[in-house]
Amino acid sequence: MFEIDFGENGEVVCRGRLDAAQSPQVETFMAGVDTSCTVDFEHLEYISSAGLAILLKTQKRLSETDAALKIVNVNRHIYDVFRYSGFTAIFEIETL
Amino acid sequence: MAEQRFARNIDRVPDVFRFAEDQMLAGNIDQSVRFPVHLAMEELFVNLVTYNPTATRDIKIEVSVVDNTVIVTITDHDAAEFDVTIDPKVDTEVPLSDRKPGGLGLHLIQSMADTLEYDYRDGRSRIRFSKEQAADDV
Repeated sequence: MFEIDFGENGEVVCRGRLDAAQSPQVETFMAGVDTSCTVDFEHLEYISSAGLAILLKTQKRLSETDAALKIVNVNRHIYDVFRYSGFTAIFEIETL
Repeated sequence: MAEQRFARNIDRVPDVFRFAEDQMLAGNIDQSVRFPVHLAMEELFVNLVTYNPTATRDIKIEVSVVDNTVIVTITDHDAAEFDVTIDPKVDTEVPLSDRKPGGLGLHLIQSMADTLEYDYRDGRSRIRFSKEQAADDV
């Protein structure tokens, strides 16, 4: 089960488990993000490399216009994945 | 030890998770271990489905919990040899402009699993990894 949508303040809200089976809908959604944006992971339980690839691809595209994603409310398990992936150096990240 | 066979389809990933979760919960394994086990299982399953597209036989997954250690064995047939224990040499310290999306799966498995073994014989690929629950994980 996974959901992605815009929240009340324009942030991207992810819920559930972002695995490879969900990545096509996330890729389509994130392709519509064209300015700096907060991504709220408070209700995201899990992410794999499929989701990481989309985040990285989006961050690279946004950086061409000096924009960036900020990822907030990251749980400690997902933070470990970010740390092993080197994402802590290329994203602004706030943990839960 | 429990085993189950899964059709070669990425849409089966949630079923792989459910199978593993049932075994790990029955073995009182904490979320701090279940998370990396799920991640390694997904990365390996997706790799086999993606890079062995002509194979037709189901992928067999075995999960056991022994002395607080989760052991997962994934067996595929009609597979090309691809040693998952070889360092993929992902440089996670380069700046954003030099990062390329993709390729992190094996790096994550090798970073998060306690052991990782690969055996290839006559078209049969067998991957085994383990993750131990330490006392401070609970």
